[in-house]
Amino acid sequence: MAEQPEQQDKKIILVGNPNVGKSVVFNVLTGSYTTVSNYPGTSVEVSRGQCQIGSDRFLVLDTPGMYALLPITEEERVARRILLEESPQVVVHVIDARNLERMLPMTLQLIEAGLPVVLMVNIMDEAERLGMQIDIALLQEKLQIPVVGGALGRGRRGLWELRQAIQDYLPRQATFAYATDLEKDIQRVSSLMLGDYILGKRSLSLMLLQRDEEIVERVRVGEGENYAALEQVVNETIFARRVDLHLRINLERKRICNGLLTGVIVQQQGMQPAWTERLSTWTMNPWTGIPLLLVILYFGLYQFVGGFGAGTIVDILEGTVFEEYLNPWVIGLSERYIPWYWLKELIVGEYGLFTLGVRYAVAIILPIVGTFFVAFAVIEDSGYFPRLAMLVDRVFKKIGLNGRAVIPMVLGFGCDTMATVVTRTLESQRERIIATLLLALAIPCSAQMGVILGLLSGVPGALAVWMASMVGVFLLVGLLAAQVVPGVRPMFYMEIPPLRVPQLQNVLIKTLTRMQWYFMEVFPLFMIASVILWAGKLSGALAWLVQAFNPVMRLLGLPNEASTAFIFGFFRRDFGAAGLYDLQTEGLLDPVQLTVAAVTLTLFVPCVAQFLVMQKERGWKTSLQIFLLVTGLAFGVGWALNRLLLATGILA
Amino acid sequence: MKCSFCKHELTLDMVRDQGCGGCAGGCRKVHCPYCGQENPIPGRFLDRLLQREKK
Repeated sequence: MAEQPEQQDKKIILVGNPNVGKSVVFNVLTGSYTTVSNYPGTSVEVSRGQCQIGSDRFLVLDTPGMYALLPITEEERVARRILLEESPQVVVHVIDARNLERMLPMTLQLIEAGLPVVLMVNIMDEAERLGMQIDIALLQEKLQIPVVGGALGRGRRGLWELRQAIQDYLPRQATFAYATDLEKDIQRVSSLMLGDYILGKRSLSLMLLQRDEEIVERVRVGEGENYAALEQVVNETIFARRVDLHLRINLERKRICNGLLTGVIVQQQGMQPAWTERLSTWTMNPWTGIPLLLVILYFGLYQFVGGFGAGTIVDILEGTVFEEYLNPWVIGLSERYIPWYWLKELIVGEYGLFTLGVRYAVAIILPIVGTFFVAFAVIEDSGYFPRLAMLVDRVFKKIGLNGRAVIPMVLGFGCDTMATVVTRTLESQRERIIATLLLALAIPCSAQMGVILGLLSGVPGALAVWMASMVGVFLLVGLLAAQVVPGVRPMFYMEIPPLRVPQLQNVLIKTLTRMQWYFMEVFPLFMIASVILWAGKLSGALAWLVQAFNPVMRLLGLPNEASTAFIFGFFRRDFGAAGLYDLQTEGLLDPVQLTVAAVTLTLFVPCVAQFLVMQKERGWKTSLQIFLLVTGLAFGVGWALNRLLLATGILA
Repeated sequence: MKCSFCKHELTLDMVRDQGCGGCAGGCRKVHCPYCGQENPIPGRFLDRLLQREKK
C-alpha cells in the first residue's frame, strides 16, 4: 500500500478504557499497515494505521486508554488532546459489554462534547456466556448514535456492522439532561462562551467547572477579552458548589446511564454468577456489611495473623529455631572466638545484633507481617476494600473523614509510615490532619497488632478490652478532631469494581513483594536500634532513660522492666511490640498489666520513621502537636484503664 | 498491572512518574493516580523469578 499524506485521509479515532479490545478493533480495521510513535512532546505511544471503507480512505488512530474526558494521567491527557486536535470524522468508543454501567458515562461525555461517536460494544461473547442479553437496537435508539455489538477478538463478529456504521455515519446530537440546578449552572457558563471550539460548549462548561487546567487555557485563548466575565461566573459557581460539584456531576451521569440501560440488559436467570452481586450488595449494607466485616476480621486477622502467624509460626521460629538451635550456636562461637566483652555484647548480648536485632526481625516480626500481607492481599484482590470504603463512609463522615480515607487507614494496618504518606491523596487539609492524627494514635501496624493479638488471645477478655479501647479512642478523638479542626467536608464518590475470587498468583506476587520491601526496610533499622541500645547500655544512658520512665510505669501499674518496651517502641512500633512479647514470655506481666501495656503501647507515640514522615507531610508545628497529643493520650488512657480494671476486677 | 484498590489500569510510565522517592534503594511501589493506593511492584529478583516461570 502506497503511503499517502495523512492530511488527505479522514480520521477515525478509537477511544476507550484499557483492556476493552481497542487494539483488536484497531488491528482488524487496519490490517498490518500500522506505525507506532510517541505523541509529539510526550512519551506516550499512539498507533496509526490506514483502512479503506467504501470509497473512503481513513487514517485510524488508536489512543491510550482513558476512563473519562476529564484526564488524570498523562495517557488520558494525550488521548483527549488527540480528540481536541485531530478533527475526527468518526470517534469509535470501544466498551466492554460486561461492564456497560461503568463505561457508558464516558460515552455520555463524548456525545455531550459533540463528537461524532460510534459506540462499539465489544466482548459480547463473554457477556452472553455470563447470561447477559444486550439489546443493541434499543441502546442505539436511546443514545441516538450508531451502536454496534460484536466480539472482534473472536471471529471478527461485528466488523462488517462497524465498517457500515462508520461509512453511513450522519451527525446527530442528543442531549441528556442533568438535574435542574446543574443545568442552570451549565447554561449560565455556556451562554457566556463566544469562541469556536471542537468540543461542545456544554461539555466545555462542565470541564471548566471541574477546573480542568488545559480546557481553562484553551477557553482563555478562545474567548480573549470575554474571558474575564466568563471566569467570574465559573468561579462564583465553583465556590457556591465547592462541597459536592464533582459528586453531583458523577451521580447525575450515573443516573442518566442507569435510565439509558433500563431494558437494555436482560440477565438470564440461573446463568449469572449472581452470588458475587448479592455478596457485593451485602458488603455495603450496614446490617449485613458489619457482621461480614467482623467475620473477615475474625478469620483474617485474629485467627490467621494472630493465631497462626503470631502463635504457631513465631513459636516455631523463635521458640525452637532461635532459642534452641541458632542462639546457643552463635553464643558458643562468640564465647570461643571473641575475647572482648564489648564486642560479645554487641553481637550476642542483651541487645545484641543477633540475639535482639536478627531474632526480632526474622523470628517475630517477619512471620507476623508475612501472614498479615497474605490476608491483606487476599482481601485486596477480591475487591472488598472499595466496598469497605462505602460501608464506613457514614461513620467516617462523623469523624471528619469520608470513605476515601479507608485507603490510608487500611494501609496503616500494614505500616503507619507509608500510610501517612498516602494521606496526601485525601482532598482537604482538614482530612489529612485528622487521618494523620488517627494513624499516629489508634491504628496499630501489622507487626504490632499481630504480636498483641497473639499475646492477648491467651488471656480471656483481654483482647475485647484492648479492641474496645482502640475503637473507643479512635471514634472519640475523631469526633473531637472533626469539631476542632477547621475546613470543608468533601463528598465521597467512587466506582465499585467487580467482586471476584482472589487469584493465587496475584496474592503471591503482592505478598512476596511487600515482604521483600518490608524486610529490606526493617532489617537495617532493627540493626541500628540494636547498636543504639547496646551503646546506651554500655554508656549507662539506657539505664538512666529506663529510670526516667520508671515513675510513668508505676503510674500505669506496670513493672519497671516495661520501660524498655516503650523505649523500643519509639524506634519502631514493631520493635516495641516484640519487646512486649519478651516481657510476657518472661512472665513479668499479669493479665491487667499485659492489657494496660498493650493499650498504652499501641496508642504510644509514632515511631521515628512515622514521625519524620509526619513532619515532612504536615510540617513541624502540626507533627509536634500530634506527637504531644498522642503521648499524653496514650499514658492518660493507660492510667485510666489500669484504674478501671483494678476497680472493677475485670481481668483480675 | 491493575490498581489493587480501584482496579484502574496502571502503566509502566506511571510507575516511573508516581514514585514518591521515599523508598531506600529505589521505589518499589506505584501510587495509583485515581485513588492513591500504594501498589507493590515486584523487585528485580522476584521479577526475574516470575519471568522465568512464565517462560
